[in-house]
Amino acid sequence: MLSESARMTTAAELRFRVQAPNSKARTTSVIALDAPSEAFVRRLSGDRWNHATFLRAAPGDLDAGPEADDGWLTTLGDRRTRIRDEVNAADQVIMVAAPGGHAEVAAVVGRACSRKRVTTTALIVGAADASDRDISTTLAQLRPWSLMVVIANSDDYVSDMMTALRV
Amino acid sequence: MLRKEQNDLLTQTGPGTPGGRLFRSYWVPALLAEELPENDCPPVRVKLLSERLIAFRDTDGRYGLMDEFCAHRGVSLWFGRNEECGLRCPYHGWKYDVTGQCLDVPSEPEASGFARKIKLKSYPLVERGGVLWTYMGDPAAQPPLPEWEFIMVPASHTYTSKRVQESNWLQAMEGGIDSSHVSFLHRGDLNSDPLFKGAKGNQYNLSDARPVFEVVESPGGLYIGARRNAEDGKYYWRITQWVMPSFTMIAPRGHHAVHGHFWIPIDDENCWAWSFDYHPVRELTAAELSAMRDGKGIHVRCEPGTYRPLANKDNDYLIDRAAQKAGRTFSGVEGIGMQDASLQESMGPIVDRTKENLVSTDNGIIMARHRLLRAVRALVDKGIAPPGVDLEHQKVRSAAVVLPPDQPFQDGAREAMIARPSVAPASV
Repeated sequence: MLSESARMTTAAELRFRVQAPNSKARTTSVIALDAPSEAFVRRLSGDRWNHATFLRAAPGDLDAGPEADDGWLTTLGDRRTRIRDEVNAADQVIMVAAPGGHAEVAAVVGRACSRKRVTTTALIVGAADASDRDISTTLAQLRPWSLMVVIANSDDYVSDMMTALRV
Repeated sequence: MLRKEQNDLLTQTGPGTPGGRLFRSYWVPALLAEELPENDCPPVRVKLLSERLIAFRDTDGRYGLMDEFCAHRGVSLWFGRNEECGLRCPYHGWKYDVTGQCLDVPSEPEASGFARKIKLKSYPLVERGGVLWTYMGDPAAQPPLPEWEFIMVPASHTYTSKRVQESNWLQAMEGGIDSSHVSFLHRGDLNSDPLFKGAKGNQYNLSDARPVFEVVESPGGLYIGARRNAEDGKYYWRITQWVMPSFTMIAPRGHHAVHGHFWIPIDDENCWAWSFDYHPVRELTAAELSAMRDGKGIHVRCEPGTYRPLANKDNDYLIDRAAQKAGRTFSGVEGIGMQDASLQESMGPIVDRTKENLVSTDNGIIMARHRLLRAVRALVDKGIAPPGVDLEHQKVRSAAVVLPPDQPFQDGAREAMIARPSVAPASV
């Protein structure tokens, strides 16, 4: 007699896998942390996503520099919104930055995410042509605030990753 | 998640498929050299990339890998007589050399030249490091022989085993780059397995079950760094190497040997899990070799005379619920290799990735799929050789290091991630 494992792992048995959806949509905030990544996020926002908000940040938007407890983000439609409010509404936050170390806002976003236990993923885009030093500088800004950091040579990775995460 | 057409593209590796063309760009492990131990030994059936083949070693010690079936009536040449520099079909006596060239058709006059018109498809089969490697792609694009460190060190420094896994290659390989499962599935083994225990790094693993990850593209694939807290604010990094399409190398532990895997499709629903352990600067000890042969570490015990694990789906992987309840094993299955295999086989022959819900820590897997898809497109559309073919991409090592908090692992472990003869591995 076949064991239960032997029977249940056949392709025929897999046809009986429940077809009902097994997850609800996750709300995702995609935040461009610096000027070079803003153009990238703007292009990304033109694709079709389920529950994604696209925002940009600038150092001048912080209440008190990188040590601030809160600050401002701007939607791509130029509406200002509090970082804390955006994070509170999100299931996950994707931070996008370019090499060169202009991602100071990561600390404020990261702190807000830590408080609310919101998952953070950080991506460094445009890494293929950047120097190790420029990548390291940005990495140092992102690392303390990210559960996962990805250094991608190919910019289309972000889109693939968001699809994989069902954004 | 992957769309169905993406999943098909990556999981189908038979002749004529894009994924099959990718695998056919590389030298892949086909057999252990021990499977053809002497000249004129019995032939061995081999199924690779959905092709049924026969391997044999002729009277002069030459290896052959060719179409399993006789060109005459389709008899399996596994029944063949391996004699006088050729494999002779026992049905009507047709005989083939290691290139698949028919040498003799006894029923036809020799002068007719009929035998010269018969040739079975064959592939090169070359021994290196105790493994027989084959290349199944376009002969005009055949790359140089592989130079993975585990096959380049002296024979006394290395040990390789293989086992059948009853699942598609991709779900097996993805387990090899999924660092976050170690703190759960394998936690019972870190302090007890003779090939892992005693390493200081184990304590970092066990005391911090929530590692933070960094994924960086490497020339041949990916570096996947898993970061845990160490003393004095420093970080303990475990760096996994993935080289396309299916080489994975796990970070070492303490003074133990370095280890890793190849995941090679047998067909779309089965694969070979190749497992190697080696030490770059010393011989493996008798105790280590004994443990490896006994299925410890990443190796498994197989049914005698086969490469099928002793614990397999037919016996429910010998699951021990009492051991699971007592915490001796996390899943109830014993041994790291079978803990992985049992769960990966439970997904079914080819997991439906349209249903999965990946999370941030799965970025290593997401990136690997991304790079594989990109490489397949570049190969099929533009004929660009994929990463991993270049010998320089094969000179890699996994590493375990403790670094200051502000130092990127790809800087701090730059030298450690390159295979260098006579240089010890970086390990904690």
